[in-house]
Amino acid sequence: MENLTAANIRSRPTRTFISILAVALGVVLMLIIGGIATGTLDDYLGRTVGMGADYILQPSGSSVFYAFSNAALNVKLAGKLAEVPGIEAVTPVLAKFSSSDFSLIFGIDMSSYNQFSGRLQLVSGRLSLGENEVIVDQLYAEAKKLAPGMKMTVLGHPFTVSGICRPGAVVRVFAPLKTLQNLNGTPDNVTIMFLKATPGADEIAVFKELQRRFPNYALARATDSNLLLADARLPGFKEFRVTIVVVSMMLSFMVILLAMYTTIFERTREIGILKSLGASRRFIVGMILKESAMICCLGALLGIGISEVVRKIIITKFPTLQVAMSVDDLIRGLILGLLAGILGALYPAYKAARMDPVRALSFE
Amino acid sequence: MADSSSNHTIETHNLCMIYRSGKVNVPALQNINLNVEQGEFIAIMGPSGCGKSTLLHLLGGLLQPTSGRILLDGVDISKLSDSERTAVRRKKIGYVFQRFNLLPTLSAKGNIELAKQIHGNGSMNYNGVDRILDMLGLSEKIHFRPAELSGGEQQRVAIARAVINRPAIILADEPTGSLDSRNSRIVLQILQDLNEKLHQTIVMITHDSEAASMASRIIEMKDGQILDPASKYSYEPEFESLY
Repeated sequence: MENLTAANIRSRPTRTFISILAVALGVVLMLIIGGIATGTLDDYLGRTVGMGADYILQPSGSSVFYAFSNAALNVKLAGKLAEVPGIEAVTPVLAKFSSSDFSLIFGIDMSSYNQFSGRLQLVSGRLSLGENEVIVDQLYAEAKKLAPGMKMTVLGHPFTVSGICRPGAVVRVFAPLKTLQNLNGTPDNVTIMFLKATPGADEIAVFKELQRRFPNYALARATDSNLLLADARLPGFKEFRVTIVVVSMMLSFMVILLAMYTTIFERTREIGILKSLGASRRFIVGMILKESAMICCLGALLGIGISEVVRKIIITKFPTLQVAMSVDDLIRGLILGLLAGILGALYPAYKAARMDPVRALSFE
Repeated sequence: MADSSSNHTIETHNLCMIYRSGKVNVPALQNINLNVEQGEFIAIMGPSGCGKSTLLHLLGGLLQPTSGRILLDGVDISKLSDSERTAVRRKKIGYVFQRFNLLPTLSAKGNIELAKQIHGNGSMNYNGVDRILDMLGLSEKIHFRPAELSGGEQQRVAIARAVINRPAIILADEPTGSLDSRNSRIVLQILQDLNEKLHQTIVMITHDSEAASMASRIIEMKDGQILDPASKYSYEPEFESLY
């Protein structure tokens, strides 16, 4: 049996194509921006956990995004933290955001940093940091085509690459703590302290003791990303993701509303014919919703396809950027795209169903 | 609501229809009393604006009267809600229009199948569509869209669509109005055959006296009223008086 919905869609190819493209755009927006946000966070949390610290300490009110935190911790605090029973190692780190390549740089004290299981694992070059030297990870080195001994500029300062380490460390560029402190204009301060508990120590008890002794600091457990996410404050992250979803859905909603509204107007006479044949309101509403659902389904599938291509382009062009796109995200994109379209078609469908058949039949 | 005392398929009692145009009431039909028996073929004639189409739309449940009653097989459809009237139309009535009113996006076969789908017997009598198109001489053109068919062919498809669900009543609004004389004759012959062989009740509006002559009864209207047979209205335009 010939399908009225498919026939209607085929009969207006330009309008259909533009509607599909607009729905696809909404889905791409949702998947790519949401994917970058989630991917970056997941990558960040994963690499922080990979550091091997049990706790992280930051100035009060900081978020897990070190880049947005001030260097407000005095480096001498490391000594006091090390005195807490159950703490085996402490390493102070100054995190500095480089806007030129949109990445984070760690100023580290190599000897204390390498006491952690996530220490730098050298692939080539040497594992030491002179005053104007940096160690970069393999991904960064590949992206920037760097090799040990080569020069590079970080934060407007010339450095020489002393070594290349495995990826998976917290950040991709490591500089000497002192050098970065001076560049930052905070010679005695750091951004964050990583702490390691003594093997066999009661992690919760140590955490509580740290909270008791250092009540004016933000403390978070860092043994797994869920714990870190639960303890760390991520102001606005959830709202940001919701906003992306809402904006994407609104885009699909408005496009479908407009497209279907125009369609109803164009098809006034056809709706009159359907009514004269005895088509019920439910039949007419169903016809409009089916058409909208088909457009949205095609749009969402196209959007998923485009998102996958865009994701591949992003990770090829910017290897340090992560775009998380799980099957769940794709299904969510499909469902939300479809939902927005159906919602957008509801009013035009209602209007069509209530149309006066005699007026509709005489419509020119 | 069924009135078992009557054998009429269609009855109207003091049917009135007033359109409202801004603050002005425009009477379209006044006290129409009409009885059509089952299997009767009637033609309604009259000048433009006399209320013929309004009457047909009321009989088909597309409009609700201002006052009066319309009984279809004893059921007063003037008291029914819009969705109930739609259901009556779906089950009992087939429409044929002057301008064919086929859906342009569907083929000839698709248009007829749609009527079956709306009726709710889409999966039944599937070969009926091919058979009726064959009977109407359209077997070669079942996959043609309306724009690819001539006027006469489009009207034959429209008739096939109107009768595919075996409605008790066929309402035809100037079915030959857009056709040449050859196609007009074909369409009228089909309507007459449907009436004679399948005993379908047909109410046809026409301006064409030749078309009206095919009907078993002619009703004439003027100014929203049915004319007394004794005071027949002449609808022949008197162009001679212009010269």
